Amino acid sequence: MGKLSSLPKIYLTLVFVILYAPIFYLIYYSFNSGGGMSHFESFTLEHYQAVFQDTRLLIIVMNTVIIALLSALLSTTIGVIGALAIYFMKNKSARQTILSLNNILIVSPDVIIGASFLILFTLIGVKLGFASVLISHIAFSIPIVVIMVLPKLQEMSTSLIDAALDLGATRKDVMTRVILPYIKPGIFAGFFLALTYSLDDFAVTFFVTGNGFSTLSVEIYSMARTGITLTINALSGLIFLITIVLVLGYYIIGNKAKSPQGVRK
Amino acid sequence: MRGLISSAAAILLVSGFLLFINYRLEHKAGSAGKDTITVYNWGEYIDPDLLKEFEEKEGIKVIYETFDSNEGMMGKIEQGGTSYDVTVPSEYAVQMMEEKDLLIPLDFSKIPNIQHIDPYFMDLPFDPDNQYSIPYFWGTVGIAYNPSLLEGQTFESWDSLWDASLRQKLILVDSAREVIGVSLNSLGYSLNSTSLQELKEATDKLETMGPNVKAVIGDEVTQLMINNEASVALTWSGQAADMISENDEIDYIVPEEGSNLWFDNIVIPKTATNIEGAYKFINFMLDPEVAAQNAEYVGYSTPNISALSFMDEEITSDERFYPDEQARENLEVYENLGLETLGVYNELFLKFKMGLR
Repeated sequence: MGKLSSLPKIYLTLVFVILYAPIFYLIYYSFNSGGGMSHFESFTLEHYQAVFQDTRLLIIVMNTVIIALLSALLSTTIGVIGALAIYFMKNKSARQTILSLNNILIVSPDVIIGASFLILFTLIGVKLGFASVLISHIAFSIPIVVIMVLPKLQEMSTSLIDAALDLGATRKDVMTRVILPYIKPGIFAGFFLALTYSLDDFAVTFFVTGNGFSTLSVEIYSMARTGITLTINALSGLIFLITIVLVLGYYIIGNKAKSPQGVRK
Repeated sequence: MRGLISSAAAILLVSGFLLFINYRLEHKAGSAGKDTITVYNWGEYIDPDLLKEFEEKEGIKVIYETFDSNEGMMGKIEQGGTSYDVTVPSEYAVQMMEEKDLLIPLDFSKIPNIQHIDPYFMDLPFDPDNQYSIPYFWGTVGIAYNPSLLEGQTFESWDSLWDASLRQKLILVDSAREVIGVSLNSLGYSLNSTSLQELKEATDKLETMGPNVKAVIGDEVTQLMINNEASVALTWSGQAADMISENDEIDYIVPEEGSNLWFDNIVIPKTATNIEGAYKFINFMLDPEVAAQNAEYVGYSTPNISALSFMDEEITSDERFYPDEQARENLEVYENLGLETLGVYNELFLKFKMGLR
């Protein structure tokens, strides 16, 4: 990566500008006292104040994060077990079938998934709310986790398992000391993807929310008719900031943990 | 393995902590007793301070949820699984909900404040005798335009939308009845026309508007107008009010041939579990001072005639949003035309959209 000629550099810069410009534009106006996004009047922090005074909004944000964390955690657990099951499946055609079914769920439209869940939940009498949202988020995240973990498993050489078994490892040891550590990057990738999927899902969530439980995406979409307030800009700014801090923190901790062991290629 | 387990533990810990904060917040917010009502409303369609005021006054906690379309809201209520006590459909949706038997007839003896509603807005075709609904906000369909971007065009008549000077400037709302309605209005026909002959004439005329149409879009038009990126738009008065509050160069007019009069209405759906609480809430929202505060916050026109005296003179005297009785004469409320005729409208509108450009 050392020497980049100027063309790729310009290209990369352009890509990042396109990616980040809308976010910064949005944050810029969160400091606007003018009340809208049309012209900047003067600097103010009142919208940030409004975020912290609006208890309902805060509860919704927390709900969104809790659902994202829990659904990502559970779907990762289920998805990893599922990926392992698919990997160790003897019958080739059965494996292919299950994998195809998994892929169908990934490409099926959110609205269909949401509507199906709504019908299912009302049919079996589940009250819409926290549980229904959590269950459906877990459901649409599992196929993603499977897809993230499976390539890691396939890339793992089978002789690793054979060697471990030859050296006297039990089946449990093979699982916890060989396979899981090897596919760990896939597991984390699956977790973070499930997390983002859950955070920004609107279509599925809209159908299965109810009884006072709501998430941020549903709340923001419902503002479309009367206009989105700058409070949402301020909130987005805060969430963006928190995300940056978390990602930076993750890298710092990761680097610290790595450095004593020496270099990795 | 240990890394995985400790990560999972950390995630559980964080979510547990957030759940705890959430629990505290919810209980701080709802100082009231165990009595609760669930209100299902459009986003940003109520002054949040009023919810707090209601909770303190009546000792009933309000669980507040929002939706973004009549269809979405109806779907949720029809399926059940929720316990919405109050919701706010538009007029055609009231009629559809009534037909699907999703509404509870209102008992006016429990809503004394109904006397404050302007009789003009009562007993309308979509809900005769207001058996199921009470108007919450109302408005018109008209033309929002920005004179500074135009060469002196005015829009007293719908026909001016066909003017060649508007080539590639006009933005239409993506809604069949509004757009075909413009053509029907300009021909002097009823907005609720079911005559195929009239509809054909209207769409033929509409097609000649084609070259003027820049786009057919939804709520995004508000931002385009505010940013001076568009100069003329067919829109609802509520959206126009939003535009004007952000960009005072914009003006709004309802052409003289007449137009549509729309309503959003308070109803009690069949899913209600706390009907007494719902009545208390409705009565509270109809209180003149409350309605005035709400109308100033939301920016739409209130049907509450007693509330007008509590409001800023500047708002209530604005004939664009509070047209006088003479102007109202030409306004027409949508009737439910039935699935078949609605299908014809949608099909004609689709054809019109496909024929553009």
